[in-house]
Amino acid sequence: MATEESPQVTRRATRSYSASNTAIESTNLPESYKPTINDLGFRQQPLRLEDLLSSFPGRRSQILELLRLLGPLNSPMFPILVYGGPSTGKTSVTLQVFRHLNRPFIYSSCITCYSPRILFESILNQLLFHRKDSGHSYSSVKRCERPSDFVNYLREALENVLTNLKGNSGKVSSKMSGRPDGTMVYLVFDNLERIRDWDKSSTILPFLFNLNDILKMPEVGLIFISNTSPDTYYLNIGYVEPIPLYFPDYTEDDLRHIFMANQTNSRLYASFLDVVLRPFCRVTRQVDELAAAFSSLFKKYSEPLSDKEVAPNEEMKRRLFSHIRPHIASALNETFQVRSQPLLKAETNEETKKTNSSRMLGIREDFDKIDFHMSTSAKYLLISAFLASRNPATLDASLFDSTGVSDSRKRKRNCAYWKNFKYSPRACYNLTLEYMGI
Amino acid sequence: MNVFSEIQTWVHQSFDTIRSLGTPEFPEATQSFPIITDANSKRLFTGLVLTKNMEFVDDLLTFEELGKHLKYQGCHIANLSSPDFTAKNGVGGCLRSLLRQFLMSSLDPADISILASWYREENCNNPVVVIIDDIERCCGSVLSDFILMLSEWVIKIPVILIMGVATTLDAPRNILPSNALRCLCPFEFTLGTPAERMDAVVEAVLVKPCSGFIIGHKVAVFMRNYFVSQDGTLTSFIRALKIACTQHFYTEPLSVILLEFASEEDNLVLEIERYGLSPEVIWKHVFELPSCQRVRLNKPTSESLAHAFSELKRLQNQWRAVVLCLYVTGKGEKVRLLDLFCEAIDPESYNQGEFDTNMKAEKDPVLSSSRIKGHFICKAVRLVRDLSTAQLGNLLKIWENLTVGIPEINGKVKELLPLLNAEDGKSSKKDLTVTPRRHTSRIQLNIEKDSKSLSDKATNLIECMVRDYMHPTECIPFHEIFCFKDADKLRLALIGDPRRRIQVDLLEFQKLLCCRCCTSSSNALLPSMHDTSIMYKLAQEHGDLINLHDWYQSFKSIVLCPNSKRKPRQSPLPKKRKGIKEAESQSEASIQARFCRAVTELQITGLLRMPSKRRPDFAQRVAFGL
Repeated sequence: MATEESPQVTRRATRSYSASNTAIESTNLPESYKPTINDLGFRQQPLRLEDLLSSFPGRRSQILELLRLLGPLNSPMFPILVYGGPSTGKTSVTLQVFRHLNRPFIYSSCITCYSPRILFESILNQLLFHRKDSGHSYSSVKRCERPSDFVNYLREALENVLTNLKGNSGKVSSKMSGRPDGTMVYLVFDNLERIRDWDKSSTILPFLFNLNDILKMPEVGLIFISNTSPDTYYLNIGYVEPIPLYFPDYTEDDLRHIFMANQTNSRLYASFLDVVLRPFCRVTRQVDELAAAFSSLFKKYSEPLSDKEVAPNEEMKRRLFSHIRPHIASALNETFQVRSQPLLKAETNEETKKTNSSRMLGIREDFDKIDFHMSTSAKYLLISAFLASRNPATLDASLFDSTGVSDSRKRKRNCAYWKNFKYSPRACYNLTLEYMGI
Repeated sequence: MNVFSEIQTWVHQSFDTIRSLGTPEFPEATQSFPIITDANSKRLFTGLVLTKNMEFVDDLLTFEELGKHLKYQGCHIANLSSPDFTAKNGVGGCLRSLLRQFLMSSLDPADISILASWYREENCNNPVVVIIDDIERCCGSVLSDFILMLSEWVIKIPVILIMGVATTLDAPRNILPSNALRCLCPFEFTLGTPAERMDAVVEAVLVKPCSGFIIGHKVAVFMRNYFVSQDGTLTSFIRALKIACTQHFYTEPLSVILLEFASEEDNLVLEIERYGLSPEVIWKHVFELPSCQRVRLNKPTSESLAHAFSELKRLQNQWRAVVLCLYVTGKGEKVRLLDLFCEAIDPESYNQGEFDTNMKAEKDPVLSSSRIKGHFICKAVRLVRDLSTAQLGNLLKIWENLTVGIPEINGKVKELLPLLNAEDGKSSKKDLTVTPRRHTSRIQLNIEKDSKSLSDKATNLIECMVRDYMHPTECIPFHEIFCFKDADKLRLALIGDPRRRIQVDLLEFQKLLCCRCCTSSSNALLPSMHDTSIMYKLAQEHGDLINLHDWYQSFKSIVLCPNSKRKPRQSPLPKKRKGIKEAESQSEASIQARFCRAVTELQITGLLRMPSKRRPDFAQRVAFGL
């Protein structure tokens, strides 16, 4: 969830990647591909710092801070906890920083690895350059369920990798061959908040936070990425607290920069953003939500234009605005509804109530409007539920309670109330018939 | 179904969209960290198929067929259903089932990276489609976990979700949290209601000339009622149809010619000899059919038979065309083809109608419309009267297309069409020319009158079609060969009555076993009979409680003494039997074992309840009578 995107850079990156690598990769059949130490790096052209900073508008200070915390090459570090709301660029920034630094890292998302065992095995698989394939029936390299086993295996694997890394840090041409730099290995745990649901966080979460102390290897860096703030992790249980790094929500200007990147007709899009960005920002600042809403809205916006390359003047902007205005309201509502789930539920409940009451008044016409098939038994159940709902509580007790209503005083008091609700069997029958649309 | 092809094109479109976001190379596709492209790259294409709360069975079958259809088009398919999404198993459960379906093997730690590797090893040019039957029955949190996980991998594994929604489009919104909803890129598809699907089936199988097989009126009515009482389960209807078909082929020897009958155009040449039947026998059989007896044919020859068949075919085609015309007319107003079909195939009302025509000279259109049989046909005919000119024009064109093969009706429809064109011209002229107001009203009146007359003509036409050309199959000679009429047989086959069947079989086992020893003496119980059968016959003599001791003794006596004729009323006296020395050859224990086994069998078949604690000596009979 924390992935954020920088359309410009990544597009370019993928293109250049595919262009540069197809020649090399196409000779290798996928089956024969053996992962090597290179796989610990990002395997793409390292990014320059300027590119990195420009590709994440509004993230300058966070990137610099992260770089500072990671420190220069081969320097030990404290664990880092990167946190911030969803879709604020935590994962992307972290990954791109590693691409910039060209250092080896292991990434594991706790959404994909939904249990401790899979998390451990996924990390070990990456460290031991093991890839699941049909040759060994997609099994993991080691079977590992308990944290203690994991520590042993991990230490073994890390030592192996580190000697490997050291072995080639001596060669100067490490950059040219695409090998990652340095003799540090970083473990990145994404979506850490998911772990709290696994086993009520009793063991795994403290274990991970404590991993640095347990391993006692200065060559290992830990980075945690989480949606929620460090307060939610009860960090004060006697181990080194990870250094928090907060990613705040984007401001409106940041969002404008993000969305303006990589647009073909930038002036048209700018005028579009002038119209939509402000109202949407009041509802949500999550880039992925906004992107989804904007992509469809922009299509509508540019619908009346025959030439998509044209730069709009004031007159045209006004026309386009009047064209898009009704759509904005509905789209706004849509994002809003999806976002605020409890409110929506309340709304729908109200709605159903309303329809129910109207159904009682105009039974016949409403019956036709039900657009899904209902079995006969379901219809009868509904009728009986409706009838039962009209019963006073005392009647319920006398009908369904085996002891009956003992409190005679209560019964007496309710007697008058009762009479209003008396149904003759005939009336019930009529109601039933009406409801069934017979 | 066109919904299927719609879904299929959508699947391929969305696959292309995913592809356009970039196709990762092998190492990239199996790496653990996400490939970052733009924001839309995390969205899962999701088809929401509104099933309109169909019957559960229909639902399952529909999605299974959808899966087959897509698989045929080269997609990788996995069908998941609500049991895979339980809170108990968590997201591992559905992943495991996914892997099992794709990889054909179950792996203990179900991990989605396995799927990624698998997809790379396959040629990765096909979309992966995951079909979830009914999301309303799934556990929301598990489903949302699943969606989040898939959305992280969507570039590496181009997964396309198809979810069945029983109620309304709000359902996913109610089930899933917002962060999962954000990953979905939903599209809506709507399946037809059971009644619509039903109409499609009836049209394809019974009305359109597909196999030549047809069902009689009684069977049709029975099947309609069956369909309604089963709450519109299409599966049950199709099953009934299949059973009817099978039974027809089973009982009617001449049904073998159905295939040729349906395929060949005209001048059916009977090649009965091909099927290894002697022509004499066949002719005898054919000309003794009741429908043939009614219409006396001059002489039973091959030529007359062929002639009768082609006549039958001609009449059937006419009937089909008229029914389809009626159906098209009534389509907008919820006239169901099945109802129409039931009425149209009713031979009695047709005979009656024929009788009426002979009696009355038709003059009054109102009278003639009242004469038209059936409520639904009537309704359809009345609808024609109320149509506007444009609608009528469309309708007439459709009729013309439908009746292409039948020159008589087609000619009449064609006669009407120019009138319609003239009318169009008139009305358009009216629009163009500016006429004085005084005249306008009159012209309008005129036009109204004209259109009235036109719709009258159309009504007359359809009435005449119904009257003259809609010969129910059951009124045509030799229809027995093609028409299945035995509703009782179908009912028996469909509904069955297992307990009754068991009782009958137990009492009249000779019919099934056909052994030499039992056939001779029909009523007496012999030791060579089956144990359970003996027991059950003995039990018939008791009330609803059976004394186990008595029962055992009588059983033993029968088994031990082959020659003694049993007297059922009094329970046999033990001491008398004990005297028989040959009884020693068979040990007491084996008889007891046989007894126990028979009692257990009776209990399993539901005819007997075991002794209770309160009355340890008595077993209770459960089923009485047949």
